[in-house]
Amino acid sequence: MLVKYSKQVILVFAATLLSAVSFSVRAELYVTIIEGLGGEPVFEENFHNQSQTLADASVTLTDADKVALFRGENATRANLLAHFESRSAIMNENDRAAIYLIGHGSFDGEEYKFNIPGLDITTDDILNILGSLPGQNHFLLNTSSTSGALLEPLEGESRILVTATRSGNEKNATVFGEYFVEALSSEDADLNKNNNISIEEAFGYAQRQVEEYFESQGQLATEHSEIIGDGAAQFTLARINPVVISQENPRIAELQEQLLDIDQQIESLQLRRPELSNQEYIEQLQALILQSATINEEIDQIRGEDLAE
Amino acid sequence: MIATLHKSISRLAQLGACSAIASTILFAVPAQAREHLFGALDNENLLNCENFYWTGQSVEANACYMNIIRTVNPPEIQAEAMWALGDLYTADELLEQAAQLNPDNAMILVRTGELYMRTYQYQDAYNFFSQALEVDPDNAWAHIGAAEALSTGNNGEEINAHLEAVQTHFASPPGARLRAMLMSINSVMERDLYDEARDLLDQAWDFVEDEDLPTIHLNALEAALAFVTRITDQVQDYIDAALSESPGYGDAYAIPGYFASITRRYAESGEFYQRAVEVEPKHWTAHLELGQNYLRLNKIDEGIRHVEISYEGDGFNPKTLNMMRLLDTFSENFVDLTFPDPPEGDGIPKLVLRLDRNEVNVITPYARELAEASMATFEERYNFPAKEPVVVEIFPNHEDFVVRSIGMPGVGILGVTFGYLFAMDSPTGHPDETYHWGTTLWHEMAHVYTVEASEHGVPRWYSEGISVYEEWNTGPIPGIKIPAYVLSFMAEGAFLPVAELDNGFMRPTYDEQVIVSYMQAGLIFQFISEEYGHEKIVEMLYQFVEGTDEVTAIETALEISENEFDRHFKQYIDIKFGPLLSNLQIWQQDLQATRQAYAAGDWEEAIAAANRAIFTFPDYVEQDSPYIAKALAHSQLEQDDLKFETLETFWHLGGYSARALKELADEYIAREQKAEAIEVFRDIHYVDPFDEATHGKLGDIYIELGRTEAALMEYQVGLALNPLDQATANYRIAAAYKALNDNAQAMEYLMTALDIAPQFRPAQQLLLELSRSEMNTQN
Repeated sequence: MLVKYSKQVILVFAATLLSAVSFSVRAELYVTIIEGLGGEPVFEENFHNQSQTLADASVTLTDADKVALFRGENATRANLLAHFESRSAIMNENDRAAIYLIGHGSFDGEEYKFNIPGLDITTDDILNILGSLPGQNHFLLNTSSTSGALLEPLEGESRILVTATRSGNEKNATVFGEYFVEALSSEDADLNKNNNISIEEAFGYAQRQVEEYFESQGQLATEHSEIIGDGAAQFTLARINPVVISQENPRIAELQEQLLDIDQQIESLQLRRPELSNQEYIEQLQALILQSATINEEIDQIRGEDLAE
Repeated sequence: MIATLHKSISRLAQLGACSAIASTILFAVPAQAREHLFGALDNENLLNCENFYWTGQSVEANACYMNIIRTVNPPEIQAEAMWALGDLYTADELLEQAAQLNPDNAMILVRTGELYMRTYQYQDAYNFFSQALEVDPDNAWAHIGAAEALSTGNNGEEINAHLEAVQTHFASPPGARLRAMLMSINSVMERDLYDEARDLLDQAWDFVEDEDLPTIHLNALEAALAFVTRITDQVQDYIDAALSESPGYGDAYAIPGYFASITRRYAESGEFYQRAVEVEPKHWTAHLELGQNYLRLNKIDEGIRHVEISYEGDGFNPKTLNMMRLLDTFSENFVDLTFPDPPEGDGIPKLVLRLDRNEVNVITPYARELAEASMATFEERYNFPAKEPVVVEIFPNHEDFVVRSIGMPGVGILGVTFGYLFAMDSPTGHPDETYHWGTTLWHEMAHVYTVEASEHGVPRWYSEGISVYEEWNTGPIPGIKIPAYVLSFMAEGAFLPVAELDNGFMRPTYDEQVIVSYMQAGLIFQFISEEYGHEKIVEMLYQFVEGTDEVTAIETALEISENEFDRHFKQYIDIKFGPLLSNLQIWQQDLQATRQAYAAGDWEEAIAAANRAIFTFPDYVEQDSPYIAKALAHSQLEQDDLKFETLETFWHLGGYSARALKELADEYIAREQKAEAIEVFRDIHYVDPFDEATHGKLGDIYIELGRTEAALMEYQVGLALNPLDQATANYRIAAAYKALNDNAQAMEYLMTALDIAPQFRPAQQLLLELSRSEMNTQN
């Protein structure tokens, strides 16, 4: 069933989504979530929860009509190919795609397949889909067993690929996907405390949780996740604690706008760091963050007063 | 043949391959540059050269060997000359030619075997001796060669068969018989059977006089025996006697040096080896042993110099190659930290921690705390203040540690004490949960005091026993801990009489006997302490300074005979462990039932079986302890209080499974029992110090309790572990510095945190505080 989401009023608080892209061009994120066959009730429920959580997390960042979820009888190869064909027509060179494969996979030593009703999606299908989308640096997450078989075919492509396993030989059902999805709403995963979860942060979080999982079970790890491609730190997948612009207090709204501006200045300063001495950099950074801290303090005070009233 | 030798040499040159022959040369007696022929060959030209060599006329000897090469001589004789001159490859080629020309000549095969012994290729050597015996089954030289090749391993029966063949065959040459005698004397001395060695030496003296054989080897062994039996005024006399016969005979010193080393008298061993290389500068093995000895005594530069000399002279020795590699690691990766810093009083530090650069910031606080606490404890308990700084080396790579300790990799030890220096594995070297590195440090530090207080005279079992006893009574996790399999051996009556206990360590007859002996030795001191008082243990320890044997020490201090002691100890074991040992099978069945029920997800049955096992043996807290399974089963049933109680009991009894303790620490935090949480975290760090989360949690508790300096230390360790969340790690340190009024340091860490996470609200707030504080100061 293809699910669409109603639009929510969310302020994109910092331009971190596509920070490498010029701010003058509006870049959109298109998300496709493909829930594969579970085979057993426990996996079906698990995959269902993961894909649902992914969809919820994605709409914290992009318009709901840009988030597509395929599951059950709708997740057929024909439907998917048609979906990506239409996406390639809509997207432009500045847009990015995030594609999530949540399910089981198989690898016979030569070809990887992602298991869906009817004909499976093959490595060639995935290569063709990614190749057909306008723009570059699209993101593909594959949480299935044997998903590492995709690493070699996609190596060298200007894509970011995350797989739950490091090769096609790791064939046990994986737990990586569960933790990757969990990361998209976890403050623990937000290492730079900017309320955005990047691919790099989600990957790091999931990888650590998988290690702890196997350690706590007293088992040797049967899966080792991998990431390839550049720009994983700059590619945001979800926003936690999204800041909703104040509709009731104009002063707070004004201050929030100022914060947005300061955040952009900080980001710009960080990009210019190689041009500055360390002292210059730290001084300028400190000044900007002091402004930000002062504004945040004022917002807190106003909110405290509002509550008191 | 040549291809084989080349191949083997190139294999040796690949350091990683050395472990393949690791266990084979551990007990090799030091060899000297040229082995005595003992009459094995009768070529007059060669014997003439040998005579020059063995009477210290090295220039004449070299000229003589050169003359053999330049003139017409059989290839096997030319090979001997090449060998003597140091060209082992050509010697090998010539012996191969000789063997092709004389396929029925067993002596050519024997000498080829000896050449391979010289290059440490013991299996190849043994094969040549075996081939020689196929040609000539009664060849005594082949038998003695085979015995020596086998002695590098653990083949007692085969060795004895070969030696017997030499001794009993009527045609065995006197020189071969003498070699067999020398082997036997070495063997009994290595087993500390000094009375037997005395008898064998007396027989050997009679024999060499009757047969007019050289006496240098016997004099060297006499010097060694005099040394180990502390008849010190005779040592130099025997050495001088050997040197008067052969002035360049370095083994006159090296053989006593070897026995000093294996009896852990490293200072004297070094002195012997130093004299050995002075007498015989090309005694490469002596250089290696001297180098290793210097390293044990913390004289690193001298140690490196002699190992390098050994390597230059004898690139075949895998032990030397391993040491060279280790020395690279040492100089590149290790750093020394001295404490107190700066030193107090006499200006000499009391403690030196030698740690890997990558671990120094994590291990140092805990290692220092434990080392200083143990030193204070043992100084008081054994009335012995350390007279030199104690050096603690902690190796993240287990094989490096083993090479540093005994020269060759592939041995499963955790720590080795040489005197004031000991080396041990870091927890990185043992990633599993069974390695409690804090206990190992405590154990080794106890050795420092028992070895030094007894002036290196303490028997092995005695020193090990005290270390185990101290683990149980004063160590970081007190309580008698005996592995389950040792209990099985105890139930079978496997303990040795006290007079034979050293054999359990030095010459075990079954796989588990070393650990069984550790436990027995520990229990002996537990028994003495409980029945006679700890002071008797100390009293006996000091008797070893005078060379008293352990039986005499026991009989003197405890005023009971050796047999009475064994009988009383058995009674003690029966009383203390009798009920458990008689129910051991039932306990093991309950333990097994616990595991099976847990694996099957039958939580109630797992708890019931664990309760039965705990009832029988409540103190068992090893990694397969029923407490752990019980706590997990309670967790599955969401019986949080019962889970907590189980983990708490486990911890109180000395359980140290890091995973279980982490759960317990979190429970204590949730229950606001901060003091207990602190103690549990500290225990965790002696098993698993590399978990950043535990340092953060412990630091947070310290902050809450106002113990900011302790918190700062934990936060710094956490940051040293390179956590994923660098922003939080830096922020925590900044906050701690702020609390300690060190605003400059606070700002440095804070800006690092904010550079990573500019929108990190707590860090922003701290920046505001620091900034306002600065403004107030300026105003």
